[in-house]
Amino acid sequence: MPDSKQLLRLQIDSQLSNTTLVAMAVRGVCAMTTLSPVEINRLELCLVEIVNNAIEHAYGNEAGHPVEICIGLDKTSMNISVSDWGASIPSDVIDSQEPEEINPDHPEAWLCSGRGLHIVNKLMDDVSYETDEGKNSFIMSKALRY
Amino acid sequence: MAFETREEGAYTVVLVDESRLDASIAESFKVFLFDQIDSGKEKIVVDLSQVRFMDSSGLGSLVAGLKKTAGSGLFALASAQPAVKDLFDLTSMDKLFSLHDSVADAVQGD
Repeated sequence: MPDSKQLLRLQIDSQLSNTTLVAMAVRGVCAMTTLSPVEINRLELCLVEIVNNAIEHAYGNEAGHPVEICIGLDKTSMNISVSDWGASIPSDVIDSQEPEEINPDHPEAWLCSGRGLHIVNKLMDDVSYETDEGKNSFIMSKALRY
Repeated sequence: MAFETREEGAYTVVLVDESRLDASIAESFKVFLFDQIDSGKEKIVVDLSQVRFMDSSGLGSLVAGLKKTAGSGLFALASAQPAVKDLFDLTSMDKLFSLHDSVADAVQGD
């Protein structure tokens, strides 16, 4: 859980249609910060990618399981954790390298999935992943100007 | 209906009538695109003017459509909004897709 003075804790059921709920919530919190519209869009994207991952991979797209989102806010950063109690992300996936450069001449090599974590790693200032007593938490933070 | 088509000359314009092209509808959108391509539509323009947010799953459905038409047809995008354009930039997918400011631009000259 983010170590912040102001903390919002949300929980949704593991259905992809519910990601919009938390996306709108994080946009609301972002409106309290100095983040620019582009940064807010990117933060929303990162949150959605990680919540989608929890639903699709930790729970295999099965409804009826909890996904917990904690949004912490302090003067210097916004910290977000997304937790599930399903299958954890293998370390080789967490540590995977950036995808190879796209070659327009080789359609067979174009990937239709697997970009979510790369996007998050690229956009957030700090990213970590931990599992504790069956609870998997993806933690990410974004620095704020003040 | 979330997805609609109309014909403009030789082009089939697919309108995504949703504000979010995300994981919750990406698979159904891919199936819709594939149905269009399988039914013989060779020149497809996806109108993204209504889409305010797209995630990597939504992007993946577009890549799938592009792959399916690669070599045998045309698959272009039109009217991408700022957050959607940003996703294309971030993932370097702007190198792969033909991105047009409007549907009119996409079908121009045909």
